[in-house]
Amino acid sequence: MQRRTFVEFGAALGLLQATARAQATQKVEPAPLRIGLTAVILADQAAFLMRWSDYLGARMGTPVVFVARESYQAILDLLLSDQLDAAWICGYPYVLYQSRLQLLSTPLFNGKPFYQSYLIGQPTPPVALSSWGDLKHQVLAYSDPLSNSGWLVAQAQMRAVGLMPKDLRRSFFAHGHRNVAEAVASGLAQAGCMDGYVWETMQLKKMPAAAQTKVLWRSAWYAFPPLVSKLNDKNPALSALGIAMHNMTADAQGVSLLEALNLTGFAKPDAAIFEPIKALAASVGALRT
Amino acid sequence: MLPRFPYRIQIPLVLALAVTLSVLLVSAVTAQIAARNARLEIVSTVQRVVDLLVAQGKPLLAQDDTWRAYTLLRNTAALLPQTSKGQSRAALLDVQGRFLAGSDPSRLPTGDQALGVLINGRLLPTVSDASRPRILTTPDGGMTLIEPIRSADNQIIGFVFAEVDAAAFAPDWATLSTPALIGAALAILVLVPLGWWLGRRMARPIAQTADCIAQIGHTDAEQLQLLLPQVKDPELMHIAGAVRQLLKETSARQANAQRALSAERLAAVGRITAAVAHEINNPLAGLIMATRTLRLHGDQPEARNRSLDLIERGLQQVRTITMALLPQARVEDRCMTPGDFDDMLTLARASAAQQMVTITSATHEQADLYVPSTVFRQVMLNLLLNAIRAAGQSGQVHARLSIETHKVSFVLANTGQHFSNERLQKRLMTNDGNDPHGFGLWICHEFAVRFGGGFSAEQAADIPPPFTTCLNFWLPNLARHDPQKPAPD
Repeated sequence: MQRRTFVEFGAALGLLQATARAQATQKVEPAPLRIGLTAVILADQAAFLMRWSDYLGARMGTPVVFVARESYQAILDLLLSDQLDAAWICGYPYVLYQSRLQLLSTPLFNGKPFYQSYLIGQPTPPVALSSWGDLKHQVLAYSDPLSNSGWLVAQAQMRAVGLMPKDLRRSFFAHGHRNVAEAVASGLAQAGCMDGYVWETMQLKKMPAAAQTKVLWRSAWYAFPPLVSKLNDKNPALSALGIAMHNMTADAQGVSLLEALNLTGFAKPDAAIFEPIKALAASVGALRT
Repeated sequence: MLPRFPYRIQIPLVLALAVTLSVLLVSAVTAQIAARNARLEIVSTVQRVVDLLVAQGKPLLAQDDTWRAYTLLRNTAALLPQTSKGQSRAALLDVQGRFLAGSDPSRLPTGDQALGVLINGRLLPTVSDASRPRILTTPDGGMTLIEPIRSADNQIIGFVFAEVDAAAFAPDWATLSTPALIGAALAILVLVPLGWWLGRRMARPIAQTADCIAQIGHTDAEQLQLLLPQVKDPELMHIAGAVRQLLKETSARQANAQRALSAERLAAVGRITAAVAHEINNPLAGLIMATRTLRLHGDQPEARNRSLDLIERGLQQVRTITMALLPQARVEDRCMTPGDFDDMLTLARASAAQQMVTITSATHEQADLYVPSTVFRQVMLNLLLNAIRAAGQSGQVHARLSIETHKVSFVLANTGQHFSNERLQKRLMTNDGNDPHGFGLWICHEFAVRFGGGFSAEQAADIPPPFTTCLNFWLPNLARHDPQKPAPD
């Protein structure tokens, strides 16, 4: 009888200890850092994103969760409504919402924080296209209404050559740079404007849509889409995120991830490099003040 | 061709042929039905796809979202038949009837006018004509569906366009016939050995019956009846019954034949007896006549001696004939002399006198005589008596004995009935034992054959008229007489 009482007591004690350990673990688990992703990168690669989030989480001491959305506006809405802690957006929405956002980091493409906008077409089109003026009566695919390379640059160029939207047979948004390439490759559109970095990465990864298109025109260099957070967000994990990104070149795993992203690193942000985009937006009357 | 094969080959072949024909017929009918059903199914599928696009395309048309319309069409068109082969396609049209997006942008270009113009060789209805669902068919069997998409307040905001080429409706004969062909092959695999076994089983009683029929006449009928198969098949039972009946009849016929053979043998013995009596009767008649001569002229020494010689030779002839009846008997015979020819003429003249028949004779001696006397005497007497009988009342008979170096011929011609050589040979070949005259001729023929001579009817060319034909019996004239060695049979 005494022995049975002893065993029951031991079991109850063990259960109490396990419960206490579980409560302690829950208490020390920090809230994850939610980072929004847009079409500025090829964000539909779940295995890569898991590796990257694990990498960043391990170095920051804070779990990282990537949240992808198809449109820039959706990510901006989530960020500005505090449902995201950070976001990787295009330079054009950054300059649009610069008063409410702060730069966290700027990716380096080929060692520089710049990229180009591409006008792409079919390798053997029914109607030869070589310049923006040739787009008259053609179907043109844009990436996103908040994309610098996939819309803003095209607007400025069309305006420069005197081509009005009504002069196109049709234009449409493909909701992503990759979709622009696919729309042109399938013949849905005769031409498309998209992020040059994304097209080059697709080429690097031998994606069919990139192989079935060619670059008709390249823009000037613009600031690479930055990682931003809401202005005055004092979350310490954000600064840890910036440090972790900057240090990715320091270890093999980080370099491997950068190679998968077709980037050479992340640099400290410089708001001045976005001035050309701001000017471009102003030139087409697309800058809200 | 086929009936030449045995049943064990015919049956599997016929079964395989029947299965193959059945499979072909069933496949053809099935394929026709399948093709008809396939068209109905395709039309139904296309209609469902159109319904889906009407529902899903409405917000995309409202937002003028070409890309999402394209992705919707690209994914939905996979439900259409033969899309991967480019035989079907779908599109969303805006309210003006232009392509908002198409599943195959190269054939359905974005922004191009669709309604009211020729698309892929088909003239589509105008926007106003497409206010209700339209199904257009082409002469080659292709189909185009156009269905308007309406907003909540029943306004047309766009159209769904779906097109299926005629080739997509074509039945896939290979796919349709493959299961049937596999089934036929499996059936043939089973039926060929089964048919071979059945054919052999069916043919076995027939073969046994055929063997029995083939052995009829060679094997005892009673034993053959035991070899006949016991069958239950009505037709085979009928055949076996008929064969059994045939065997019974054959058995009965064989018994009758055996009895007839015994009777024939007895009759033959009788005929031989009659013939022997006939042969002996002739010399006996001569002997009687000689005794009469002896009685009348016995006091004259010459006549007495001549009659006694005649009696002696006649008795010797009778003895020889009776000895000849013993196959193994060794007949002691002497060589014939010209006197024997005279004896026979003397003997025959008694019969000739009774019928007023004139007998003339001639002898040509060119060599010595070396022929058996008994045989030649019997032949000469036989032929003389036959000739007298054939010459009839007041007829003429001419006999000639020719003795040459190599043969001795007895030629006899008569008026009245006579033989052609063909008729003579036919008579000799006919075993008419009931005719004593025929038997006598046959004996002459047998002597000629046995002693290497000949017996024939010829034209009487070297005999003066009125004779036209003659009988010629000859034996080889040997250098010396050797009665021990007759010519081989």
